[in-house]
Amino acid sequence: MKKTLFTLLGLGVLLGSTSAIAQSTWDGGDDLPTAPLACDGTPGAAAAKEYDGAQPTNAPDRAGKQLTLVDIPKLIGIGYFGATSKGMQDAAKELGNVEVTTDGPTKANIDEQITFIDNYITRGVDGILFAANDTVAIAPVLKKALEAGIHVIGYDSNSTPDSREWFINQAEFNGIAKSMIDNIAKEIGEDGSFAIVTSTFTTPNQARWIAEMGAYAAQCYPNMEWLETVEAQEDNILSFNQASTLINKYGEDLDGIFGMTSVATPAAAEAVTQAGMCGKIAVVGLATPNAMRPYVKADCVKSVVLWNPVDLGYAAVYAARAAADGKLKPGSTELEAGKLGKLQVVNGSEILLGPPFVFDKSNIDDFDF
Amino acid sequence: MASAVAAPGHQDRYAGLKRHEVILLFVLIAAVAVLAFRSEQFLTTGNLLNQGRLLVEVGLMALPMTFIIITGGIDLSVGSIMGLCAILLGVFWQKLGLPLGAAIALALVVGALAGFVNGWFITRVGVPPLIMTLATLALYRGLAEGISQARSVRGYPDWFFGLGQGELWGVPTQLWLLLFFFVISAIVLTYTTFGRSLYAIGNNEVAARFSGIPVDGIKIAIYTMSGLMAGLAAWVFVSRVSTTRSDMGTGLELDVITAVVLGGTSIFGGTGTILGTALGVVLIQLLKNGLALSGVKGDGTIVVIGVILILSILVSDLLRRQRGAEH
Amino acid sequence: MAATMALPARASAGSRLRRFLFSQEGILLIAIIVLFVAVGAYNQRFLSANNLSTIFLGNAYIAVAAIGMSMVIVSGNIDVSVGSLIGVLATISGTIAVSGWPLWLAWTLPILAGMAISAVSGWLIAYLRVPSIVVTLGMLSILKGGLISVTAGAWINNLPQGYHLAQLRPLGVPMAVWFMIVLTALAAFWMRYSGFGRSIYAVGGNAEAARLAGIDRARTVFIVFVIHGFFAGIAAVLFATQLSVIQSTVPPNLELTVITASVVGGVSILGGTGTVIGSTLAAILIAAIGSSLVFINVSPYWLRAVQGLLILLTVLADLARRRKRARHR
Repeated sequence: MKKTLFTLLGLGVLLGSTSAIAQSTWDGGDDLPTAPLACDGTPGAAAAKEYDGAQPTNAPDRAGKQLTLVDIPKLIGIGYFGATSKGMQDAAKELGNVEVTTDGPTKANIDEQITFIDNYITRGVDGILFAANDTVAIAPVLKKALEAGIHVIGYDSNSTPDSREWFINQAEFNGIAKSMIDNIAKEIGEDGSFAIVTSTFTTPNQARWIAEMGAYAAQCYPNMEWLETVEAQEDNILSFNQASTLINKYGEDLDGIFGMTSVATPAAAEAVTQAGMCGKIAVVGLATPNAMRPYVKADCVKSVVLWNPVDLGYAAVYAARAAADGKLKPGSTELEAGKLGKLQVVNGSEILLGPPFVFDKSNIDDFDF
Repeated sequence: MASAVAAPGHQDRYAGLKRHEVILLFVLIAAVAVLAFRSEQFLTTGNLLNQGRLLVEVGLMALPMTFIIITGGIDLSVGSIMGLCAILLGVFWQKLGLPLGAAIALALVVGALAGFVNGWFITRVGVPPLIMTLATLALYRGLAEGISQARSVRGYPDWFFGLGQGELWGVPTQLWLLLFFFVISAIVLTYTTFGRSLYAIGNNEVAARFSGIPVDGIKIAIYTMSGLMAGLAAWVFVSRVSTTRSDMGTGLELDVITAVVLGGTSIFGGTGTILGTALGVVLIQLLKNGLALSGVKGDGTIVVIGVILILSILVSDLLRRQRGAEH
Repeated sequence: MAATMALPARASAGSRLRRFLFSQEGILLIAIIVLFVAVGAYNQRFLSANNLSTIFLGNAYIAVAAIGMSMVIVSGNIDVSVGSLIGVLATISGTIAVSGWPLWLAWTLPILAGMAISAVSGWLIAYLRVPSIVVTLGMLSILKGGLISVTAGAWINNLPQGYHLAQLRPLGVPMAVWFMIVLTALAAFWMRYSGFGRSIYAVGGNAEAARLAGIDRARTVFIVFVIHGFFAGIAAVLFATQLSVIQSTVPPNLELTVITASVVGGVSILGGTGTVIGSTLAAILIAAIGSSLVFINVSPYWLRAVQGLLILLTVLADLARRRKRARHR
């Protein structure tokens, strides 16, 4: 009996003490400096930067020759990387002299991703396209690829610049942040309050966006209140549960929810719909149009922020082709990318896809991915 | 003393296991032959040594896992302990400003301690191993996240990468470490009283207790060892990938257990060898690598590994029973 | 350990109540009540109808899957592939629904598929005597790899009207919760009072005694796995019909959550003891803990640590209870 009581007491103490480690918000947590854009959208004067990528050593002359590329995303089996992969196939078909296969780990795991890349280096390919699970951890194996004369192009999430030639930047972190915050401000007002549903705190892109969103909101909408951030993995139902719990917890005090992944945003929209709070709680987030179409059509979600992942994959293949042909080299200022036209080179060795795109009711039917 | 307990059926078990390892070796050779035929890059020294580098973390954790499963236990928390140690290594060094060497040593101590906690609760409080380590699977991962606040630690000095990325006499450094512990573990399991006690505990714990084997002490020792090895694996891993994150090693416990079970260690306890485990670890790594090189994608590879796991155990089991029937 | 099961049901009402309170089910129920009262006192919205609905609706499929898992564990086996199985079955359900077949097929075929797949595992385990952990570790890889190579992770959108079974609310209670309650009650009753139900305990508790009592071990284990597939199928249908899209991937760590619910619910991993009422209560407790952490503002970094501690505490409370009873005997 004593022991049982003691244990139950311990349980109580534990629950009590948890408030001591309580924290209301999370600031993105990657210690990197933030660079919020100006509130009125004046583009910051980007200082021209020297090329800071790395070139493959003793790469054979591949100009105009058949290229075998391998695409190793963070993980396979999710809609987002399915879309980038589709874009790559489109580009390969258009170019005619490129072959791309997508392969990768089934969970977003740095270790497995490294192993995959390592295997393809051994197997011998002409180029590697990657979306890094960790900026630094992936660097050694990419350097190894460069040393083997393989072209290395990143997309979606970067590695350290000295371990790849180019990176296709879907949109600057601060640009995404501005677009997200501005869009939610339109719906909830400049003094509204919001909560965030993200995948995990360790996911680098999400962490960067959240940090930039916090900085931008603090600068441009000082009265906006950031209630909290919750983790929901890349899991549909967990995202739904977490979003529902936020709605239940804050009730009237919650004006908007951000979804930081293409899994979290539709689940948050679903939670708002099932709670009957459409129009009362705004949902803004990163997501693919197909997953969001029902909610946008039902007027439950007004704006979905995203670059086009199909274009992202498409541009990555064009960059690899251009690098192999010697057209894209240190000092280049733009990339000729088929139907996308000319893409700017920014920030040393990054190729910018363009400003983030906002899907709404008027244009969502134009996209199918 | 322990040998007396293990004696009945000892001969049978030994012969049966030998069979499993022979089968596994046969599967391994067949796999290597087929894969070498399908991809000319597969059977090259460079590739094989590189695969050796990649399997070290799982290998290190699989050794004490073999001990634990032989006693009829299990440790699901190894992946989380690895994550915790990796994070602490970075935090001790960067946040607390300790010398890197001291940080490594402390992280190893924490790993051992984490394993000791498992062992202590399992033996002294009587929590079943599966439940205990299921709880600490969540607990240790949570501590890693809480302590690191999900921040990664980077910027280690160059010498630190020697273990994970360097070479010694032409062989990846960490492979020597694994070989060293492999030999030690094999000797301990085969030739010492301690090793024989493990089989005795797995075969019949009550009988082992009555014959004077310090069951609790031995169990605490092997769980502590498991934690320590997970810490060591964390060190190797951080050194190999040059950064520290709290999600490192997620799900690795299943890889480790798969390798051990594939190696013929019975999940019910009482049987298993280090050689079998080593074959299991190598076979899985070579399959992953060889299939990738011969153009099979990752999702296809895990299907093949699943099939081979079931089939190899099935076949060796059937053969053993057939042999048993002949007697 | 098996005492809760084996004791004659002739005791007086008072002692029966006391025995219930000190059983694993009783402890879980008390823990759930304490948690609800404590967190409700901290933030009343925790007890709002909406939040209760979230806690139950969002996790009912875990409780349903844990029923089958509990039977598997009671029979002395384990299934670590259940998460992948549910992922595959949910995708099958969604694929049928969008291909224009009648909806009742989308709800029932996954259950049959679940029984068929699980029958393969059960056959390997029961008749070919491959250890269950080996078979199901293998199945985990096979199902997961197979699913990804077939779907490439494409989501299933545009599910037809009326497909969303789990969202129906007969008498104001979500359908998923009805399933959870009714299935738990039926399974508990069946396991306790039917001959076959009791033979599961016998096989898991003492295989030799079961053999002497004329119980066919292999047949029992095989049937248990088929039943487990049935529950996994229902769980998958609830999982698939809960939201407007189906992710067609394997939900991360689902197998661990299901196994945790079973073992925290008092199902001994050594086989032979435990009830499905316990596993359902445990599933509720785990879900409630997840929700309450958001309500009491625990920094989300510590979420997993707290979950782990709570599992440990529940088990410790159970051990303390068993020791006490052993002393008093």
